[in-house]
Amino acid sequence: MASEMQCGVFHETYKSDMQVRPTTMQRARILLAVVFAFALPFILGSVEMRIVNGVVIAAIGAIGLNILTGYTGQISLGQGAFLAVGAYASGLSSVYFGFSWWLSIIFAAFVTAAFGMLIGIPSLRLKGLYLAVATLAAQQIVQWVIINWDPIDGAVDGRTTDALNIPNAYLFGNPEWRLNNNEYAFYFLALVVLIVVIIAATNLFRTHIGRAFVAIRDQDIAAQVMGVSLFRYKLLAFALSSFIVGLAGGLLAQYSTAISFERFTIEVSIEYLAMIIIGGLGTISGSIYGAIFIVLLPELLRLLGRAITGTDTDSIRAFNSLLPFLQQGVFGLAIVLALIFEPEGIQKLWRNIKDYFRLFPFRY
Amino acid sequence: MRKLLLMVMVVAALALMGAAVISAQEATGEPIRVGAIFDLSGATGDVGTPYGEGVIAYVDWLNDNGGINGRPIELISQDYAYSAETAETLYNQFVDEGVVVFMGWGTGDTLALKSRVAEDEIPFISASYSASLNDPQGEAPYNFLIATTYGDQMEIMLRVMLEQWTAAGNAAEDMRVAYFHNDSPFGVDPLDQGDAYLASQGLQAGLRVPMPRGATDFTAELQQADDFGVTHIVVQNVSGPAALLARNVVQFFGGNDVIQFGCLNWCADENFVRQAEDAAEGALGAIPFTPTTVVVPAQEAMRAWLAENDTRTLEEASLHFSQGWTAMSVMAEGIRRTLDAGSELTGPNIRAALETLVDFETGGILAPITWTSEDHRANRALAIYRVEDGLWVEASEVIDLRAEEGM
Repeated sequence: MASEMQCGVFHETYKSDMQVRPTTMQRARILLAVVFAFALPFILGSVEMRIVNGVVIAAIGAIGLNILTGYTGQISLGQGAFLAVGAYASGLSSVYFGFSWWLSIIFAAFVTAAFGMLIGIPSLRLKGLYLAVATLAAQQIVQWVIINWDPIDGAVDGRTTDALNIPNAYLFGNPEWRLNNNEYAFYFLALVVLIVVIIAATNLFRTHIGRAFVAIRDQDIAAQVMGVSLFRYKLLAFALSSFIVGLAGGLLAQYSTAISFERFTIEVSIEYLAMIIIGGLGTISGSIYGAIFIVLLPELLRLLGRAITGTDTDSIRAFNSLLPFLQQGVFGLAIVLALIFEPEGIQKLWRNIKDYFRLFPFRY
Repeated sequence: MRKLLLMVMVVAALALMGAAVISAQEATGEPIRVGAIFDLSGATGDVGTPYGEGVIAYVDWLNDNGGINGRPIELISQDYAYSAETAETLYNQFVDEGVVVFMGWGTGDTLALKSRVAEDEIPFISASYSASLNDPQGEAPYNFLIATTYGDQMEIMLRVMLEQWTAAGNAAEDMRVAYFHNDSPFGVDPLDQGDAYLASQGLQAGLRVPMPRGATDFTAELQQADDFGVTHIVVQNVSGPAALLARNVVQFFGGNDVIQFGCLNWCADENFVRQAEDAAEGALGAIPFTPTTVVVPAQEAMRAWLAENDTRTLEEASLHFSQGWTAMSVMAEGIRRTLDAGSELTGPNIRAALETLVDFETGGILAPITWTSEDHRANRALAIYRVEDGLWVEASEVIDLRAEEGM
């Protein structure tokens, strides 16, 4: 590969034209990434795996949001609400209907898709910021329902409980592989879901549906003139996006087994928006990079904080008042710098690096 | 970026070196690891910060005074910014590092951790006093409630209000209570018990008024309460919004003496008085932890520690400081009793030791603590306080619901 320099990818057959990853280099990288993902649990301890699991759930959720916001151009501030609907649909169906974990997660995805379509109805008339405010309403309504509707907390015996407690779930019924306890078992489950979602989402944008989404994003009137039914495809975008977010919510519920409204606030919605903006709007890989960035950065800052203070009470006291704000400051700074240096997100940065080495030592 | 990182590293290195020099202390045995999460930068950071300072201060004080039987406490703690996810991550990390007990904070994260805590067998004291955490035979065998539950606080508050109301010559049935509460599980937690108490007295159930987050004015909510014929307001929220409400009440009803205002423990503090100023006068507070304005023996050590290590007085450090200090001291007592019994420091042993506490005195900060294997509520007793000239002073004797139950 290295010997032949490329100035573009040329297709000579329809078959090669249809390939998702046409070059050997691309395929090698994908293979490497998959091998790395499956090797990760063998390298890391359970504490680190917990953070990795957070990344995987966030990546699934971010891909879902990116379908709606990045590809179809419908800004949503309701991501937290969609996650909540997924998590509670999964949790409540486990508690009340006795669904097994996998059934409850699939159920959650469909329920969230239906909810997403409902929230998507105003999108026919509203665009941009106006739509964002409409989805914000969804966020508030869902939060209100979670807080104030008693059965949603599993308070079946009339006792007040503040969080929905979900029965433990086991992978393949193996008592060793408990999803909320065994980080490794959950990781393999979540990783498989992530891979399926990546493949599905990548292929979605090779079909007429995906192309219609992109057309709506780029110029909705032109899309309509071309025969794209705005109503149908916008709702479809909401449904598909929410379906995937519902998967993430369901996974989250089965993973943490105790869920309360505090996990699904407006901050969560904004965090997911930050993920796809930093990672790269309208790209699948960007969603994953963004999820890694947003989840990992605070963890790294925390680790650094731990390293600074240690466990000595005097040094903890000295830094306690300062450190949280320093961490928040660095977090904000990192986001601003990322956007200044590469407004198109991390995936563009990665593409630049690849381009650079493809033509090395020359450049465009 | 690189420069910043370098700077942070240099600061870190200096701090570590400094710390190494300072930390030549009395307690020298094998350290006992204690995990803790504090909210320093999140939604409840205003009260979480002094609470965390109190926990750290107690550990520092204890280690300087011989630790627990010569063994120092090694506190593994971090800010979790009131996020349940972060709490879970930190909890797992700290348990992995070998902590034997854990100091938690909020209602949401304590509940989220409940089943893990039970599995890992880690005795857990948090700053949430929700009665749903008291389930020692069932789902929460390792959660201990250090203070009077929100429900009991509400019941005692209503009782004192009713006594004062009838003593002033009013007919009991004219009493109308409005609950102004945080719109969250924390906020609604005590309301059912409040209504049950009112019903037991033949009174009408209270009006529930959720306080919207970030509200800057509660006039609309007060209008609703006024239509209901409100005579008493009880607030279950943190002190910031409660102070705003108190100011609104004075404006709306034209004075402090029209409506009796009452606060449960998270709003009855120095911050409430500071922010509400004159509007706080006459307000009642259900405070399980003795306010700093009332002198009790346990405060001596706190004052001495602050004088040596801090620039603030105990009054400035606030009652939440003494709350954190006391919570940590009770946990330390459980560890001490385990060691005294010659048992190994394991979760089940520490739990058993905590369950041997009978009428345990905290130097006047809390009503005596009794934990049994059936009941993990420390007590059901507290005194009601009132704001007079900007200070919280005692307005009632200690009322003990558990003692009355036993009679």
